[in-house]
Amino acid sequence: MPEVPAAPEAPAASHAPPLSRRGLERLDLLLLSAEALDLNGGEAMVWMSEEMGFTGLFANRVELWKRRCHNPLRRATRRGDLSPAETDALIRILCALADRLYPLLRALLSNAEPEPVRRQRWQLFEGRLAELVRERMNPRRVGVQTLLDPQRGERQRHQLIRALAYGAGNGGYGRLRASLHDPVV
Amino acid sequence: MNLSPVKQTLRYDQVSCRLQVEGLPDVSVGQGNEAVGIITGWNLRWSGRPELEGRKDHLLALMAVVLPYARHLISGVARPFGGGDSPVSIAPREQGGHSLELRSSQPDTAPLTLELDDAELADLVRVLDQLRLDPRLQLKLELPEPQPLHPREVLERVPLRRRLVAPLGGALAVAAAAAFGLLLPEPRPQQPPPGAVELRGEP
Repeated sequence: MPEVPAAPEAPAASHAPPLSRRGLERLDLLLLSAEALDLNGGEAMVWMSEEMGFTGLFANRVELWKRRCHNPLRRATRRGDLSPAETDALIRILCALADRLYPLLRALLSNAEPEPVRRQRWQLFEGRLAELVRERMNPRRVGVQTLLDPQRGERQRHQLIRALAYGAGNGGYGRLRASLHDPVV
Repeated sequence: MNLSPVKQTLRYDQVSCRLQVEGLPDVSVGQGNEAVGIITGWNLRWSGRPELEGRKDHLLALMAVVLPYARHLISGVARPFGGGDSPVSIAPREQGGHSLELRSSQPDTAPLTLELDDAELADLVRVLDQLRLDPRLQLKLELPEPQPLHPREVLERVPLRRRLVAPLGGALAVAAAAAFGLLLPEPRPQQPPPGAVELRGEP
């Protein structure tokens, strides 16, 4: 069993404004990317949630899934905001997943890897991500179409992997959280 | 009985780099032997690159530019951190990757530039995170908390050319519609039919 990082106290968390719809969209896409990197990503997410003591917020996998459905790009999207405690818990789970997947993230980002190997890794990730996006997201949304487009979505897919790598672990929590609270202009 | 504090070494490893921090517990505030309250030196070893070493100030300067730089990269904003007067600066490279520049406090020493790819930068960020979150390091680092970007920074994430496309396109469309309207001939005033004049003349 991998070691689960403890969730340290975040003093500012309870006073934080709720995450915007754009922030929720990015958070869910980052969780989806973690799932694309790990075949058991969905299970790992539930396990992490339990291990990190978030069962009070997400009693089971359905509750966890319901929170993720606040992403406006979802096929069955839910209205309303998530509470700051719920979004912070989701960000903590994401950081722990990214920490666990760090060797894979690193391999995708490293220029030291031989080019064919690197390309193959990216194809594998992009293929899995596209499968998950087609399965769960609304294909009529421009954001979904862009993400699935081999050329137009490339920058965004790379950005998702970079965000996971720089936001991995307990140290990455503050950075990732601040980024998800970026203003929408 | 020897009561002098024991020198401690904190070591953090990632694939491409290793950070080693040496220090002593600050016995004046009652720190235990395991703690590091005074940093006496540090070194950062990169595979296939020159080793970096310095004092506490240099380590703090490294953290003060690398961590906010990584924070901005998560939001997709690649902008330089650390000016010419700072001992450390980092900036994105045009051809991809990142350029980390370290300026020595020794006179007549040329700055050292390291070119890092995304994976090496992520390794550096991780070792710095491990250090700042290590409970053995009992030293206030005074690093600012990561903050959301300013709206201006979010706007500047989109290249100027792309930002100008919509307003310029709209202005051009309005101008074209106005020009087309000017090309159309003005309608002539309608002449009343002769019968209508006669009819109007009747009581």
